[in-house]
Amino acid sequence: MGSSKLRKIWYFRHIYLFLLPAIIWYLIFAYYPMYGILIAFKDFKYNLGILGSPWAGFKYFEQFLNDSSFYDVLRNTLSISALKLIFGFPAPLILALMLNAVMHGRLKRVFQTISYLPHFVSWVVVVTLLQKILSPNVGLINDIRYQMGLEPIFFMGKPELFYPLVVISDIWKGVGWGSIIYLAALTNIDPHLYEAAEIDGAGRWSKLFKITLPSLTPTIAILLIFSLSGILNAGFDQIWLMQTPATLSVSEILDTYVLKTGLQQGQLAYSTAIGLFKSAISLGLIVLVNYISRKVSEVSLW
Amino acid sequence: MGAKRLTSADRIYMVLNYSVLFIFCATALYPFIYFLALSFNDGYDAMKGGIYFFPRVFTLENYAKAFTNPLILNSFYVSIARTVIVTVGSVLLTALLAYALSRKGLPGRKYIVFFFFFTTLFSGGLIPTFILFRQIHILNTFWVLVLPSLYSFFNAIIMKTFFDGIPEALSESARIDGASELSVFARIILPLSMPVLATIALFVGVGVWNDWFTGQFFIQNEKLHPAATFLNKMISEASFQSMTSSSGNSGSAIQNMTESQLELRGVTPEALRMTFVIIITTPIICVYPFLQKYFVKGVLVGSLKE
Repeated sequence: MGSSKLRKIWYFRHIYLFLLPAIIWYLIFAYYPMYGILIAFKDFKYNLGILGSPWAGFKYFEQFLNDSSFYDVLRNTLSISALKLIFGFPAPLILALMLNAVMHGRLKRVFQTISYLPHFVSWVVVVTLLQKILSPNVGLINDIRYQMGLEPIFFMGKPELFYPLVVISDIWKGVGWGSIIYLAALTNIDPHLYEAAEIDGAGRWSKLFKITLPSLTPTIAILLIFSLSGILNAGFDQIWLMQTPATLSVSEILDTYVLKTGLQQGQLAYSTAIGLFKSAISLGLIVLVNYISRKVSEVSLW
Repeated sequence: MGAKRLTSADRIYMVLNYSVLFIFCATALYPFIYFLALSFNDGYDAMKGGIYFFPRVFTLENYAKAFTNPLILNSFYVSIARTVIVTVGSVLLTALLAYALSRKGLPGRKYIVFFFFFTTLFSGGLIPTFILFRQIHILNTFWVLVLPSLYSFFNAIIMKTFFDGIPEALSESARIDGASELSVFARIILPLSMPVLATIALFVGVGVWNDWFTGQFFIQNEKLHPAATFLNKMISEASFQSMTSSSGNSGSAIQNMTESQLELRGVTPEALRMTFVIIITTPIICVYPFLQKYFVKGVLVGSLKE
């Protein structure tokens, strides 16, 4: 390393100082827990510490691979993610296209502002809402049913309703916020393209499929990369709050299972092993999806 | 756009478009109107059902109860303290980080950026994080609500992208005149970055205000539970009640515990819940529309960078 390099570092010394708190923070809060992953391979005891605890090899990995509840949990996680992907991924795009078609600027702004209201509200509030609307004794829908002389239904205790409720509430909460990025991308499309298409006699569907969607491909691709690589996260906050004992067979996902076995049942190593499994697969997924995206569409995260 | 004859198909699409948007926005707004009505309605009367838009038996009791109850007030104090400290701290620290990352020619920049970026791809997981908190003694203290929330790579990138857009000439000339990096940062960059700082402040503030998880699982001391965690406790008891009784007023142990803890006097737990939701949500609803133009623009800038 030449002295010019050293001189450069000296020139930027204050910048490195600015970086220092961040580096320390990340070492403590992001990197040290990665070291803590070792717990998955050990029979961890608090008093012995991570290094002092005896090795257990892959015992806990074998444990969850042989555990039938693990596969149920994995199936639930993937089902929810798949449903959210199929129904939830297109929703913000559709909303953006609809908002874009609103001619009155003021009205469009009002619709927009209202559309992100659910995003800014905590899942605790959203689930309170759901409970309030669906509750068998004090809920809105059952209230109406009662007025009509019908029996109340305990919606949130029905396993067959769990997935629809999860997907719908997730869309309701996120579609407005998600549409922002598409709206931004839509404003970047050259209006002359549309004018030229008009002159050539293109109808609205033609314009949509031949101009709008292709122009949005980079945005869609990036968001798809994030969504696909997050397939093992089915939305912890939402799911944890919406679970009821009756629906656990379909509502237990990886993250809730990790929390229960770890923080509640104290099976620290087992829980960490599952967590590691999830993190490792997610990392592999994002690398893979990014690679595929780069090959197919030249759009990628890196 | 020039004048165009609207075909009847166009008209139908327009009507459909506006209708769907209107319906969606109505569903986004209605729950809050519903809760607002319930919060101003006498709890016992509300149990009879039939309240949809306006209170039937108007009362301020629920709010009086909420604002005088020590448990509830306490959770709000915790939330406010947490939100203010984390928002100010995080915005400043993240800005410092983003500014450093935006300085062109910094030796090792690629590796440094990767150091931060990698943490978004992989993490230690829940249990190792818990062990960490235990080892640094922040479990069951106020600091577990603050320290882990100070940095976010995504926020740093949003800020960095914004800083990249500030003309180099401004800071360069200041440096040539002898200004230190800190001076450039504080006197030139920050004042010009108000929009992005406001946006990140909003994101951080809302995130921390709404976080119920940290308080729930990392703090046993109920006096340190923020409002969102408190609300979660209130609704878990509610769902337990719904499941174990068919009337809203059972004699279950949990309901009695809540009533005695909260010292209810003519205010039902359900009404209190509604009131709590309104109180916890109103600050956010009042703030975000004013920052809308900033964060919408922020995403625009960010997406261009992509």
